[in-house]
Amino acid sequence: MTLTTDGVSLGYGDEAVLDDVSIGVDSGEVLTVVGPSGTGKTTLLRLLSMFRRPDAGTVAWHDTDVWGLSDEERLAVRRQISMVFQEPSLFNAPVARNVLYGQRVRQSWSERVQRRVRDAVGDRSMTETAHTALETVGLLDKRDRNALSLSGGEAQRVAFARALAVDPEIMLLDEPSSNLDPRNTAVLEEAILRAKARGVGVVVATHDMNQAERISDRIAFVYDGSVVESGPPERIFDDPRDRRTNRFVAGDLLYEVDDESALPTSASESS
Amino acid sequence: MFFSLQLQPPDGGWTYVVSIILVSLEVSLTAVGLSTLFSLPIALFVGFTDFPGKRIVTAVINTGMGFPSVVVGLVVLMLLSNSGPLGTFDRAFTPQAMIASQFVLATPVIMSVSLSAVESVEQSVRDAAFAMGGTDLDVGIVVIKEARYGIVTAVLAGFGRAISEVGSILIVGGNIVFSDGESYTRTLTTAITVEARQGRYEVGLVLGAILLVLVLGVNWLGSWIRSKGRGERSG
Repeated sequence: MTLTTDGVSLGYGDEAVLDDVSIGVDSGEVLTVVGPSGTGKTTLLRLLSMFRRPDAGTVAWHDTDVWGLSDEERLAVRRQISMVFQEPSLFNAPVARNVLYGQRVRQSWSERVQRRVRDAVGDRSMTETAHTALETVGLLDKRDRNALSLSGGEAQRVAFARALAVDPEIMLLDEPSSNLDPRNTAVLEEAILRAKARGVGVVVATHDMNQAERISDRIAFVYDGSVVESGPPERIFDDPRDRRTNRFVAGDLLYEVDDESALPTSASESS
Repeated sequence: MFFSLQLQPPDGGWTYVVSIILVSLEVSLTAVGLSTLFSLPIALFVGFTDFPGKRIVTAVINTGMGFPSVVVGLVVLMLLSNSGPLGTFDRAFTPQAMIASQFVLATPVIMSVSLSAVESVEQSVRDAAFAMGGTDLDVGIVVIKEARYGIVTAVLAGFGRAISEVGSILIVGGNIVFSDGESYTRTLTTAITVEARQGRYEVGLVLGAILLVLVLGVNWLGSWIRSKGRGERSG
C-alpha cells in the first residue's frame, strides 16, 4: 500500500474524533470513505495529508512512518500527496497561477524569481502538466480569469486541477462535490477516474452513497470515528455486514440514540 | 477679505517651502518604511499563532492607535535628551528624533490594520497552501499575498497618521530653520503653526493646501487600491 494508517486515534481536547482507524490506499485505485457528516472523515484526510500528528498509531508512506522522518523528508512525502477541500480555497490570483502553485513551491528560489520575471514580461506559458490538469476539468478557457470570480462548481474544478497539476501519487478529496450541481459533479467524477487511470491513488470522503458506488474500487464505512466495515462496493451495497452500514446504504439517517423507536419512521415522514 | 491673498514668497524665498516639503516627506516616509518592516512580521506572527495573552497583545496594539502625539513626543524627548538614557547619541532636536516619534505613532496603526488584514485570510487558504506542498514560509507568503490590499491600506493609513501629525515632532524636532531659510526640522504641519502665530496666513494656507493634497492623495490611493481588491473578487 502506498499510503496507510495503522490504528490511528486523534482527539481534540477530551473529545475523541478518530479511534483506532486503519485504512490504506494504493496507486491507481479509488478508496471512498463514506459515512454520515461529523464522523471524522475530514479529520482522517487531514491526518493523511500530515496537518497533524496522530495521538496514537502510525501514518505510513510505503511502509515508513512519516512522523519518524525528518521535517525535510516528510516535506518530500507531503509533496507526493495533494488535497482538495470541501470549499475550493483558491488564491486571489488568476486561475493559471492557482493551478501552477504546487509546482511553484517545489521550485528553488532562483527558479521562482526567473518565473516571476517571465510573468512580468508577459510570458504566459504553462507547464504541460498544468495545461493537462486544466484541460481535464474543462476550464482551459478560464485560465486568465481571477479564480475568485468563478462559480462554485468551476472553482472546485480548478481546485481539483491545482491538486492534479503537481502530478501526485495520491490525491485526497474531502467532500469535493458536496456543493456542486449534477453537471459539475459529473465533470469532477470523470476527472477523478481519469486521474486514477493515470495511476493516481485517490481517497474520496463523501456522504453520497451514489457517488461512492459510481467511482469506488473500495469503500470504507466510517461511523463515529471508527471504520465499521470496508470492502469492494458490490459487497458493501449488496451484503453489508454491519447494521449501521446496512441502514446508511438504505438511505436512513443515522442518529446517536439507543432507543430506535425514537427515530422517525418513513411513514410518519411522508404523512 | 480681512487679509489679502497676494502670495509673497516667505523670508527664505521658495526654497523655504520646498525644503519644508522635503523634510516632511523624508521624516514621514522613513518612519513609515521602518515601521512597516517592524510591524509586518509582528502582525504575521500574532495573526498566525495562538499564544497565551494574544487578546491582550491585540488590545494593546489597537489602543496604541489612540496615543496622544504630544505624550509620545514628550517621552521620546525625555529618552533622547542629554540626561535621558539615549542622551549620549545627541539626537534631540534632529530629524532622526522626529522619525523616532513618528515611528512610535505610525506603528500601532500599521500593525493593527495589517493584523486584521492577515487575520481575514481564511484558514482554508492557508490549509490549501500547506496541502499543496508549501513550507511554513510558503504559507506565510500566501497570506501576505492574500492580504496585500489590506497591508497596503495599513501602510497608507500609517503615512496619513505620520504626515499630518504635529504635536510630537514639534516637541522632539524643535521646528528649526537654518539662517539661510532652509528647513532642518520644520515640516508642513509645524510650519503652519509658526505661520499662523506670526499672522502670515498666505504661506500657512499654501502649506496647508500642499499637506491637504498629500493626505487626500494618499486616501484616494488607498480607496482605489481597496476597490481594485474588491473588483478582482467580483469579476
